[in-house]
Amino acid sequence: MSINQPANPGVDGRLGPDEPVKYKGPGPATGLDSPLRKAVYKLRRDRWGMLGLAIVIVYALIALGVVLGLWGQDWSSTAGPRWAGISAEHWLGTNLIGQDIFNRALYSTRTAFEIGLVVAILSTLLGALLGALSGFYAGTWIDEIILWKKGVLDAIPFYLFVAAVAFALEGNAWAMHIAMIATFWTITARLVRGEVIKLKNLEFVEAATAIGASRMVTLFRHILPNTLHILLVQGTIVFVSAIKSEVILSFLGLGVQEGTSWGLMISESTQEVLSGQFMNFIVASTMMFILVMAFNLFSDSLQDALDPKKVH
Amino acid sequence: METLQYTLRKLITGLPLLFGVTLISFALMVYFGPDLTYELVGKNPTQEQIERVQSELGYDQNFLVRYLDYVREIVTLDFGQSFSTGEPVADLLARTVPVSLALTLPGFILGNLLGILLAQIAAWNRSGWLDKLIMGGAVVGMSISFLVVIIAAQVIFSSSYGLNWFPVRGWSVYSLADYLYHVAVPTLALVFVSLGYNTRFYRAVFVEEMSRDHIRTARAYGTPPIPLMLRDVLKNSLIPIITRIMFSIPMIIVSGSLLIESYFGIPGVGKATFDAITTGDQPVLKAVVSLTAVLFVLVLIINDILYKWVDPRVSLK
Amino acid sequence: MNRPLLEVDNLVIEFETDRGTIRAVDGISFCVGASETLGLVGESGCGKSVTALALLGLIPSPPGRVAAGSIRLDGRELTGLSEARMRKVRGKDIAMIFQEPMSALNPVFTIASQMTRVIRRHQGLSRRQARAAAVEMLALTGIAAPLRLIDDYPHQLSGGMRQRVMIAMAMSCEPKLLIADEPTTALDVTTQAQVLEQILALQSSFNTAVILITHDLGVVAETCSRALVMYCGRLAEEGTVESLFAHPRHPYTAGLLESIPALQASRNRHLPTIAGAVPDLAELPPGCLFADRCPSARSLCREEHPRLITSGRDGRVACHFPVQSREAYRAALVQWES
Repeated sequence: MSINQPANPGVDGRLGPDEPVKYKGPGPATGLDSPLRKAVYKLRRDRWGMLGLAIVIVYALIALGVVLGLWGQDWSSTAGPRWAGISAEHWLGTNLIGQDIFNRALYSTRTAFEIGLVVAILSTLLGALLGALSGFYAGTWIDEIILWKKGVLDAIPFYLFVAAVAFALEGNAWAMHIAMIATFWTITARLVRGEVIKLKNLEFVEAATAIGASRMVTLFRHILPNTLHILLVQGTIVFVSAIKSEVILSFLGLGVQEGTSWGLMISESTQEVLSGQFMNFIVASTMMFILVMAFNLFSDSLQDALDPKKVH
Repeated sequence: METLQYTLRKLITGLPLLFGVTLISFALMVYFGPDLTYELVGKNPTQEQIERVQSELGYDQNFLVRYLDYVREIVTLDFGQSFSTGEPVADLLARTVPVSLALTLPGFILGNLLGILLAQIAAWNRSGWLDKLIMGGAVVGMSISFLVVIIAAQVIFSSSYGLNWFPVRGWSVYSLADYLYHVAVPTLALVFVSLGYNTRFYRAVFVEEMSRDHIRTARAYGTPPIPLMLRDVLKNSLIPIITRIMFSIPMIIVSGSLLIESYFGIPGVGKATFDAITTGDQPVLKAVVSLTAVLFVLVLIINDILYKWVDPRVSLK
Repeated sequence: MNRPLLEVDNLVIEFETDRGTIRAVDGISFCVGASETLGLVGESGCGKSVTALALLGLIPSPPGRVAAGSIRLDGRELTGLSEARMRKVRGKDIAMIFQEPMSALNPVFTIASQMTRVIRRHQGLSRRQARAAAVEMLALTGIAAPLRLIDDYPHQLSGGMRQRVMIAMAMSCEPKLLIADEPTTALDVTTQAQVLEQILALQSSFNTAVILITHDLGVVAETCSRALVMYCGRLAEEGTVESLFAHPRHPYTAGLLESIPALQASRNRHLPTIAGAVPDLAELPPGCLFADRCPSARSLCREEHPRLITSGRDGRVACHFPVQSREAYRAALVQWES
């Protein structure tokens, strides 16, 4: 039992009208402290979120199997007949040039995870870093420059920006990743900036400064860990955005350059569906839909569990 | 007068944004963009011809000089003619921007209106089955790729495997009937793909607004659900709604829906810009980039004026 | 005795939380007579505002709900009423004034717009008539030039003015019962007194019953005839204001009285507060909920929840060992603290 426990949820989370309840804020993040454990508990009770996580794990295992060479290796072989139906040899048929759709779909899972993870991790880190600096030095020239960069990037249409990056890098296989990272960090940075501004005025931060912690230590050891809930949720959102963007970029010829992907499969299928060949389209879009849906469900329940102020 | 002063002030604060957008676009699209020398020199060029073309293109100058040149051409609205087609850039924009607007506006407007409507229903029935149904549908909608939606819509409505009601691709619009005939499937796809995001966004706005004290007051004085949602909640939520809509407008004007235009072969500005990037058509790029930046600054200004209009507490300072 | 205007019987209000169901209000019963002023006193979170919202059928649901009990206004049961019928009660039969005049009015509509909507809805007047009625009501709340501010937006008015607008809106349909939830807490001291006086003046001219929710016993002493003291969603004590102040029976009431700073008392006097904290409603201890903070608690108090017993002529108290006198409470407190 603790003194700060709300005795009564009251209306709109206010305890009673006597005194406005002040935002107490999180304490210093110390490993597995109680808010985190509470969040995990809450997360585990969310059936949809857990279903989503389970599906994501299955997909991750498929992708891992491709990396380890267990399956999905024959994705590029054109040995099969073209547009073959479902058979024992080609479980989900073949495409226009006789490639096995099942193997291609498996291999694409790996591609999706590679894109999703690279873009989610790097853009979230970049957003965290720039957002933290921006919030910590709010009102100074550092903040101004970061905000300016953010504004400029937000003002350039995404697909045109990617196209420009792709051509500037002359067909580099990482052009798409770089372009996504360079644009997706802005939302994370905005959220982190707001949180850091709020956190830096809280007591425990003042206490840390008072006992002589340097500004950088204060920021990275005491403030940034408390934005972890934002970073985790943003990471999952960016992951989804990245694999969804990949499809469109691949269709535009700016996407995956090596290997195959759901985006490339769907793009291929645009030539096939009007001839009544739907297998490529159905397999790739279903595989992708299930993963994105699962990630969205997980992301939502993560947000519910981590953000006590989120409205449901 | 207040508004005019405000606009001027805001225009000045918009300058860094203009600077940033031109700088990034110059660096990416021109300085590091495609090398056009060999496209312009013709067959079997001599070394001299190559050097002449390169100097015309400014390739022998340093970054700063070329950037300043680029800005000067933008400021003087001297965009010239498209490298690839020879069409004056102004004509190109006048031809493609209206097509993109005609193509995307119906979907954009419907997607937002339907999103607001569904969000109001969901927010009013918060945590009820209707709310869960709508929000569940939103997550499903958000999980389907735009490209998949377009292909499915095409197969269902425009192919011989489906209803075959609408054209497979193209944009030959000479009358209202033509327009409706061509715009139907793209609109459907646009609404479908934006509805999930819009509904979620607007629902969060409405739910937050409904937790406010003055909504409790309104309910404590017997306000029925429809006036409550459509007057009290909606009017108080207009600021985030306006912001979302306003900031989508520059994107619609300059990039339309690149994917739809590419897919259906519609000659809109998105496709034109995309082609300009891939071929390094600098005059077109310059025009589009400056248009983008100017639109953004305009939107920033109009946005704040709209804020003042919907919320009497806002002052233009 | 006439039938009371409002009868609340065994009201139970529950909220679903992450940590299980909690009872924000646990079986309280009380009456309010016509044109009576009843004080509802307690700390924040004791359930008094939730009780008030329940009277209007406005418990946010989910997570909250009225789990049991009955609320009768003029003999008419309100708890099972349909939403549409309840809307006809809200603002017409029962009106409410809220604590925060800053946020309780809608910032994007003018005073006129907000007031006339209420008047037109409940009285079926034309736009022009409703506006005239609004102006008249504003004048009755002591606003000198109502025509000057009626077309203003709430943010253009001072806190006191806004609260007067709120009062005018509340009284505009001549409700039978007015619930004032901390109406003066957010105002500065001089305005507080004026606003309270205004409520009382209107109450007597319209014959309205008032439930005044407050944590301020001083306000209760000035305005109410009877008061309920709530603690942790339960009724601790009920009585006339005179008897509550002169002979508090519940140690909690006695403690609240002791913690009022008296102007004439010497500055050095130690101002006692009630030690300890309100128990967590999700993990309620058995027995009396006040036992941990009570100077006269004995072992029985931690085992058995005290029932409400009559005390004095028409008072009630929920305590195993009621306070004998304020002096006795002080003595017990000194002993307990040492």
